[in-house]
Amino acid sequence: MTCFDVELTVNGAPRRGSVEARRTLADFLREDLGLTGTHLGCEHGVCGACTVLVDGEPARSCLMLAVQARGADVRTVEGLAPDGEMNRLQEAMWDSHGFQCGFCTPGFLMQITALLAENPGPTEAEVREALSGNICRCTGYESIVNGVLLAADAAGSDE
Amino acid sequence: MQHIAERYTGASVRRSEDPRILTGSGRYVDDVRLPGMLHAAFVRSPVAHARITRIDVREAAKAPGVVLVLTGEELERSLVPGPGIAAMFSGGAPVPAFTTLATGKVRVVGDPVVLVVAESRYLAEDACELVEVDYEELPAVMTPQAARDPASPAIFEDLGSNVLVRSPVAVFGDVDGAFARADRIVRADLRQHRHQNAPMECRGVVCSFDPESGELTVHSATQGVHIVRTTLSTALGLPPEKVRVLAGDIGGSFGLKLGAYREDVACAAASRQLSRPVRWMEDRLENLTFSGQAREESFEVAAAVTNEGEILGLRVKMTIDTGAYPGMGTMLPELVKTMIPGPYKIGALSFEWTAVVTNKAAYVAYRGPWASETWVRERMVDLIAMELGMEPIQVRLRNVATRETPPRRMVTGRSLAGVTAKESLEAIASTVDLPSFRRLQAGAREHGRYLGLGMATYIEPAPGPLEGKGGGGIMGPEQIRLRLAEDGTVTLFTSQMPHGQSHQTTFAQIAADEFGVPIEQVRVVVGDSDLVPMGFGTGGSRAATMAGGASLHGARALKARVKEIASHLFEAGAEDIELSGGSVAVRGVPASAMSLAELARAARSPGRLPPSLAGDVEVTAAFDGGEGGWSGGSHAAIVEVDVETGQVRVERYVVAEDCGILINPAIVEGQVRGGVAQGIGAVLLERSVYDEETGQYLSSTFMDYVLATACEIPRIEIEHLETVPLDADVNFRGVGEGGMIIAPPTLCNAIEDALSPFGARVLEQHLPPARILELIGAIPAG
Amino acid sequence: MKPPPFDYSAPDTLEEALFLLGEAGDEARPLAGGQSLVPLLSLRLARPSRLVDLAGITTLTTLGAADGHLAVGAMVRERQAERDERVRRLAPVLADALPLIGHPAIRSRGTIGGSLSHADPAAELPAVALVLEAELVAESRARGRRSIPAADFFTGYFTTALAPDELLTTLRVPSSAPGTGWAVDEVARRHGDFAIVGAAAMVRLDTSTGRIDEARVALAGVGDTPVRLAETEQMLAGAEPADEAFADAAEDAATRLSPAADVHGSAAYRRHVAGVLARRTLKLAAQRAREAA
Repeated sequence: MTCFDVELTVNGAPRRGSVEARRTLADFLREDLGLTGTHLGCEHGVCGACTVLVDGEPARSCLMLAVQARGADVRTVEGLAPDGEMNRLQEAMWDSHGFQCGFCTPGFLMQITALLAENPGPTEAEVREALSGNICRCTGYESIVNGVLLAADAAGSDE
Repeated sequence: MQHIAERYTGASVRRSEDPRILTGSGRYVDDVRLPGMLHAAFVRSPVAHARITRIDVREAAKAPGVVLVLTGEELERSLVPGPGIAAMFSGGAPVPAFTTLATGKVRVVGDPVVLVVAESRYLAEDACELVEVDYEELPAVMTPQAARDPASPAIFEDLGSNVLVRSPVAVFGDVDGAFARADRIVRADLRQHRHQNAPMECRGVVCSFDPESGELTVHSATQGVHIVRTTLSTALGLPPEKVRVLAGDIGGSFGLKLGAYREDVACAAASRQLSRPVRWMEDRLENLTFSGQAREESFEVAAAVTNEGEILGLRVKMTIDTGAYPGMGTMLPELVKTMIPGPYKIGALSFEWTAVVTNKAAYVAYRGPWASETWVRERMVDLIAMELGMEPIQVRLRNVATRETPPRRMVTGRSLAGVTAKESLEAIASTVDLPSFRRLQAGAREHGRYLGLGMATYIEPAPGPLEGKGGGGIMGPEQIRLRLAEDGTVTLFTSQMPHGQSHQTTFAQIAADEFGVPIEQVRVVVGDSDLVPMGFGTGGSRAATMAGGASLHGARALKARVKEIASHLFEAGAEDIELSGGSVAVRGVPASAMSLAELARAARSPGRLPPSLAGDVEVTAAFDGGEGGWSGGSHAAIVEVDVETGQVRVERYVVAEDCGILINPAIVEGQVRGGVAQGIGAVLLERSVYDEETGQYLSSTFMDYVLATACEIPRIEIEHLETVPLDADVNFRGVGEGGMIIAPPTLCNAIEDALSPFGARVLEQHLPPARILELIGAIPAG
Repeated sequence: MKPPPFDYSAPDTLEEALFLLGEAGDEARPLAGGQSLVPLLSLRLARPSRLVDLAGITTLTTLGAADGHLAVGAMVRERQAERDERVRRLAPVLADALPLIGHPAIRSRGTIGGSLSHADPAAELPAVALVLEAELVAESRARGRRSIPAADFFTGYFTTALAPDELLTTLRVPSSAPGTGWAVDEVARRHGDFAIVGAAAMVRLDTSTGRIDEARVALAGVGDTPVRLAETEQMLAGAEPADEAFADAAEDAATRLSPAADVHGSAAYRRHVAGVLARRTLKLAAQRAREAA
């Protein structure tokens, strides 16, 4: 089977690989680049655990082929705290007891990152709607919503 | 905003799990990478019930990247026959004969038939498509009614029948007398629907056999490493000490990941055969179709009641659909029987049950597996109230046992010590302000808006009163080991296997308080069968009391040991030793202070201590649950039903819960909210649907098995009642299952209340929009 | 759940893409946003020999307005269209429908052309295209460029008038007259799911008499294709825009449908909700028409 060269930027660093056309972006990130922070919960685009940012927009990495990400700027959960210092969103989630088992967490964090970039002061209803494509089986969502609102507040008070 | 408290216990301490989870550095089984690792996939049955007439794997074996293809018969040659984990949860019911991969017959869609091991999962799936299996289809037995039909083909020939158990009638109290005295008999046939755990992480395993040492190392997503070790060592004929089971972060389970499954056994055997690591990650299709489902039970209930609303007695006949392969289905009815009176003074009960086998996925444990007792009882209370024209809460308050008045036991014999059902009912009634809600409801109806209020109450054995039965409920006492490491940290080894419950935080809180060190100096080690004490693992809401109590007593024992060592080193009386701020000193002699690190090193230095104290500073402790006790509470929901579309919106959800002393309020609330969300999902969204003609499974993706999102789950208001200390030290109780146990009846009661102008009676637990319209007669029943 | 093997091409021009599709015959599939196709690949329910990735064809990503017409390139992402002020102004029903599609992470990849060409009968955009009386511009080497009215585009269950070698290039939305109101609504199991039933409606009022000049209603989820309810619309033409008229029309609409059942709702349920949503959307469209007049 033909392989394709894939060059892209992941968390600010140039990365490359050679993949079959059928390889999903999620498998490329996890298996080829070793970025196992991105999780696979359903592999058919419903649960949102594999959400990453592609050129700043949230995308399901299980619904993208690695070849479709050629030249793209991809951000994953590993890119949120590059120096080991948790960012404001991560701190807010820690304070809010946002998550439990942690499996859905990377997808939520990336979706929320996209939300707050576009809408730094969302209402609770906007937060819930923006997160409606990410399934958490543990928390009942309230702690996650609280974490988003806390992160937005923290950002607001810095300005 | 780290909360600085004098004591960690009782504070919403930030979780020690979070730094890794929030940065993508958690380690789940799918993240394990071993050199030379291979990938497994299974050829699974596309039909519900059939004889296998031919299997041809020749093309698959030649496919690119394929290393091994095994049929059931081939695999069986390397295994020790036996029921595996099935016998552990059978409750004494007959366990049929079956093989790890299906041989002779398939019994459910998704039954594993052939194992393919290849260089990648992609290649393994390619090869699976090349395996040819011929099936001679048999009629699919898809309902308890069909299973009861003597003409239905036996799913397991050795059982001879699809009726697995027909229990004798158990009678508690004077049932005939209660029904003779009753003013009315309220009858209902109640149905729970099949739904399932669906943790966000599917099952998975990486098995690595080392031919040099003869040791099998297994990375598993599991609730308990030792059950996996037991099942794998038994199936493979390996001594238990040659099997090491490791577990890292677990992406949820809710009862599903108990022990080694058939796929795990197959992968372990393949690794032994190949001397290479073999990984299998269940995909979502496999998970929803095959791994397990729960809750499919039906009940014929008759309640003997007085016109004043007193419940004199219950007659209950239960049927449980255990699916095709043994899971937990035959263990539960006896629990349901014992628990069905709940916190009520119901004076008489007769209970009988039938368990059947069908061509559906195995009945597995799911968060509060015995929950039907609460759903049935709390549904009956509302039906009784409707019959009598009373407010349901009046019926509840009239019948619940209180702390002041006898009886102190359920009619089935269990102690009701410390039950606070009355207090929690009064709390929720006050929070929702029942009279003003009824006014609001009446006003809304005039404008065509249908609001409803539902309440329910429950108790949960977490672990339940001890009652001299050896302790720890059905799983026995909980052991723990603590060691003072040479860097002065306290390392706590537990058999608990957290999968979201935050044990690495809560046990550290308890141990840090009791031992007297900062929480950062306590490390909680889980998930290594060679290191942690033998135990069941996490389940049954037992961690808080059992392992929390063991942590407390273990830390106390370690502290005593440290003082004893210090008294030798300082040549002072143990009672004069002070332990604080990470060091020990003779009271009143600050200059004597020695850090815990120094003490640990001194203990290990030859000759410094008598033999009984020399060496590692380590203690083991076990806890039997102490005075135990119930957790429980009452919930209320306010819903609005759109009677044109059948859509239900949960407008408000109120909880008054009593799990004793809170170790970490934020973690308790997370457990409550998560359980409630699953209960709301069960009623409004989730159902495992089979085509009853063909046996095909219709809910095999997340498009069809629908889980609640942030848009369906409301904010959940929680009040904590920390009411009754029973034990001298350990009064925290489990809270993992309660929300899922009580949310379904709470919501069903609210929906029935909303639909009361239509005279609707809710006799089933699953109420999707189409069913709502059927119940009010807007559309014909489908 | 891993996709089967296939070949892949990523042409830079429409000509090249059409050439590749023409060469490969019906074993090749165009890849737009992939939000429906990739799960079908992972479930191994789709087995194309080759995917022709359209993402590099910049001419398909333009969104423009001229003469009151809105022209949306097939590869315009749903999220991009949702944020575009011209879509909101010229095709408000499209703007209202877009946020009902999946979730942000789906819409940021999913495309207008992909959704229309996939022709899921429960999807929002096909029903909206019908009610808008949009034109779908297609191109192939064999047939050149042609414009297909939405009414002729959706021919069956996941089937369109497009030939295997043909690509949808542009959605053209005609301008609407003053006094026109639009509405879209749906019932889904959860926010973001495919509709069990969806409805899109248009009402144009005669600005002098206040009576209904023209009414349109299209439904999703009630048949093999999105359905336009011509008879119901005729009942309303010339009528007073009163609640009773919409209720009667909706009842009429429901009786004409024969939807299929699935795990989310019986046929009877879909028929009932179709009537409810037809009424609700027509009523809301009429209210908006009055406000717009």
